[in-house]
Amino acid sequence: MKFIIFAGTPGAGKTSIVKHIAKELKNDYKLFFAKFDCIQTSDNEKIEKELNIPTVKKLAGDICPDHYTALEIPKILKQNQDKDIILLETAGLCLRCSPYVHEGLGINILDITAGDPSRYGPILTQADIVAISKGDLISQAEREIFRAKILKINENAIIVDVNGLTGEGAIDIANLIKESPDLNNKDLTLKHSMPSAICGYCYGNKIINEKKVYQQYTLGKELKSRIPNLNCGKCGFKTCNEFIRGVLDKTAKKEDCPFFKKSAEEE
Amino acid sequence: MNEPIRKITILPGKDKSGQPEAFEPIDIEIGQSIAIVGNTGAGKSQLLYDIERLAQKDTKSSRLFLVNDKKPSKEIRFNPKRKLIASLSQSMHFLTDISVEDFLKLHLESRGKKQTPEIIDEVINQANQITGEAISRTMNLLNLSGGQSRALMIADVAIISDSPIILIDELENAGIKKEKAVEILIKKNKIILIVTHDPSLALSTNKRLIIKNGGIVDVLDTTKQEHDIAHYLNWIESHNLKIREKIRMGLEIKDVAIDCRKINDGH
Repeated sequence: MKFIIFAGTPGAGKTSIVKHIAKELKNDYKLFFAKFDCIQTSDNEKIEKELNIPTVKKLAGDICPDHYTALEIPKILKQNQDKDIILLETAGLCLRCSPYVHEGLGINILDITAGDPSRYGPILTQADIVAISKGDLISQAEREIFRAKILKINENAIIVDVNGLTGEGAIDIANLIKESPDLNNKDLTLKHSMPSAICGYCYGNKIINEKKVYQQYTLGKELKSRIPNLNCGKCGFKTCNEFIRGVLDKTAKKEDCPFFKKSAEEE
Repeated sequence: MNEPIRKITILPGKDKSGQPEAFEPIDIEIGQSIAIVGNTGAGKSQLLYDIERLAQKDTKSSRLFLVNDKKPSKEIRFNPKRKLIASLSQSMHFLTDISVEDFLKLHLESRGKKQTPEIIDEVINQANQITGEAISRTMNLLNLSGGQSRALMIADVAIISDSPIILIDELENAGIKKEKAVEILIKKNKIILIVTHDPSLALSTNKRLIIKNGGIVDVLDTTKQEHDIAHYLNWIESHNLKIREKIRMGLEIKDVAIDCRKINDGH
């Protein structure tokens, strides 16, 4: 099984390009497509309908979508053992991270009209392939400058010009995917650590106040130490962090978690 | 090191119906210009794609390309630092908020070339021969008119870009001296491919490749008569451009009479 992650800012043309690539691969390989987003998406349905390949939609809601993606990857891989290639498209929001893994292929779809690439973080610097989109809209000189800047921060990148409308570049990326290594049931490792999420705001505090945010953090951390952090979903929340928020907001009860460890006085 | 490209040769493949193309090998040498003509959907983009990657019977068309009469090396085909084709099209715009001079410096830097005042002057001077409205080094790139932008892009591609092949996708109605533009590119020893149905442009090239149903169905060498017609049409257009400049300057237009005796005086 091959595992391919597509990351890029919203509107860069990820879905159109993934669609063209999937078209090149679908006759020879069993594909699965997973689309991650924050609030809403129907991109997976479009691909499922047009290409007739199985897909899934994953919405991160209140969690950082890249954290959520990393949490969900093992489940997706486990449920799709019969497939040859898993194509995963991230929500692609901040430029800091992207859940690329060493064992698979990381592809950054980069919108050339979005400005200087030097400001991008691991989403670009850790990508195996940089697919430049919308190059037909800007001058040759700017394309060359852009290319040079990409190679400056990611010297090993394979750069491919792509076009979501015409499908330009899809064959080249499909060929690179075919040549990429199989996972062979290895443990996956992230190329870059996720941003830390360790303050009261992560546990749902809304008041901008040092004391309040610390209070919320302490309460959140305390609860977190008493649950297994398995994101099993039995409490009705997608993740343990959301459950903790629910408890702090009083929309959930501690007892909703079947594994909740009571403190000494509660016993 | 790769030897510089002197000539590319196109060997026949097959059209969309799988029928073999019937043309004799087509040689295109540096300093030559070729027009590519055919209806929308005829297969012009496929041909450009084949040229871009110097296809080795590995694209849909099964065409084969030679460089300097030999099979091209993998290095020349896929070097990420060097694109074989530089392109110019009507839809391209400058997007960087920067002065003309700084922009050219940035482009030189990204190509690893020296930023001498002579090169910058040369680009601007050549651009000013293509457009009627003078460009100066302190102008902001974003404030250039359509004609000025196009002229600067052409001069920049001719002088700063390393790509040996220039692809021009429709240049009509841009308010520039097209014949001059092509002349500047030819002088810099580029191979020029022009997708166009503009008579003055198409008839001023050395050859026309006629595309139909995904195949090259004919190769026409431009006749002496066609060159004369192109020359005449270009003369009318430059006359038109002069009137345009007068209108821009706020002058009254009293006379549009074309003095045909002047046509052969090198206008």
